[in-house]
Amino acid sequence: MPAQERRLLRASAVFESSPTPMKTRFLTWRPVICAGVSAGVRAGLFAGGLVFALLIFSAVETVNAQQKINKRYPGGKNVRVELRNISGTIVVESWNKDEIRLSATIESKNAQVVPKQVDQCLMIDVMSDNRGRGDVGDINFKLQVPVSSSVDIETRRGNIYVSNISSGLVRAHVSSEGDIELTNINASQVIAQNVIGNIFFDGEFSRGGTYEFKSNKGDITIRIPGNSAFRLVAASPARKIALNDFWNNNFKNQDGRKMVGDVGDGRSSVSVMNFSGQITFMRR
Amino acid sequence: MNCETCQELIHDLIDGSISRSDESILNTHIDKCLDCESVRQDLTSIVGFCRTRRGEYEAPPNEHALWLRIRNVIEADQSGQTVAHNERRPSFLGRLMGHSWELSLPQLAAAAVAIVLLVSLTTVVGLRRWATVEPAAQAGMSSFASNLNDRFAQRQQAINYWNQRVELNKARWSAEMREVFDRNMGVIDQTVATSLEELKKNPHDEISEQMLNESLNDKLALLKEFSDL
Repeated sequence: MPAQERRLLRASAVFESSPTPMKTRFLTWRPVICAGVSAGVRAGLFAGGLVFALLIFSAVETVNAQQKINKRYPGGKNVRVELRNISGTIVVESWNKDEIRLSATIESKNAQVVPKQVDQCLMIDVMSDNRGRGDVGDINFKLQVPVSSSVDIETRRGNIYVSNISSGLVRAHVSSEGDIELTNINASQVIAQNVIGNIFFDGEFSRGGTYEFKSNKGDITIRIPGNSAFRLVAASPARKIALNDFWNNNFKNQDGRKMVGDVGDGRSSVSVMNFSGQITFMRR
Repeated sequence: MNCETCQELIHDLIDGSISRSDESILNTHIDKCLDCESVRQDLTSIVGFCRTRRGEYEAPPNEHALWLRIRNVIEADQSGQTVAHNERRPSFLGRLMGHSWELSLPQLAAAAVAIVLLVSLTTVVGLRRWATVEPAAQAGMSSFASNLNDRFAQRQQAINYWNQRVELNKARWSAEMREVFDRNMGVIDQTVATSLEELKKNPHDEISEQMLNESLNDKLALLKEFSDL
């Protein structure tokens, strides 16, 4: 008998006589499998394993199908960015370069993004670019723009984050649900609107500017300097309006559902409407 | 000759156009009548004065205007006299009160019956008018409600149109997108329902009306934007 076979027989004898828990579990388990499982069930198990493997494979394929775009566009200091997305997160932030950098992650391989630049305006219209292509999934954008860029963003669904912009316009419109965060904004016109989701504005109201915030179900928080001067029309049928430091006795309070009045000399116009959520003003 | 005929003949005498026979008759009357003699002297002295001072007075610059002013002054005096005359007339009530009423028994009974009938008629008409005030107010409320319903129905037509378009395209959406749409539409519908409920309680609630309009706009916008997907 060769030496290898002799070693195997010895090991088998040791395993059979060993009282370890592992051996006990193995001995107990093996008969259940061997006695109770028919050939059909074993075939089923094999098929299940195959399907599981295929799922993992397809997931890997999906990850591999994601497209990434990374482009730069020349632009002056006063550029305008218009983005019409369907679904996904959008981040816009300023940087200290006179150009626009566009980064996008496209979930579906069927989707395409074709930005167009006309003079000082960069337009990205996902809706037009993908008409007739069916569901194109999420497309997440990140835009880096000059500080004084006008920003006009729309999406059917998803969060919008805009930060560090000083320009004429910042507009963030979510047709359905998604949070909107506008941080360190100094623009003469700001519009933020969604149906479900919170809206947060942190910035300044400029003289003669107009500011509109509207949500159906979500909190609206406005964080501004203490010396801000504006005319406010705030409406909340749920009676959840907290003006805090900006309250004064000249406000016309209509049953707690609507407040109209001037803060300071009322040089800018602010309209806030929230159907069921909270409206809060706080000092910066 | 009477005085009236005599004074007419005096004018002819002064003008020198009187006949000899008239002149003798006139003189006979004037010898007997001191009044007519006085008139003849007055007129003779006025005409004589005017004839001796002819050319010393200038004619007024606008004779027509002067006469108009004079006529106005005369008419004003006449109307003032008429008003004074009217003021002096006793009023209807005064005449009524001043009248001595001497009525027979049947006349008194008829007057009493007439008064009773007049009072009854006035009461009935008044009650009917008072009763119609409340329905009128209710009609105002209902007209406001119907106005609101009309506007709501008009908006609802547009909503129905876009809703049909959404339903046609909905099958192409992902399950996740359908869920998102339904969830958001539910939130807006809830706002619409709440606003309508408030308006039923208080039809003139400005805030609820504003909320209703805004939420219907939101609904329309959501449908339009998702109909493109």
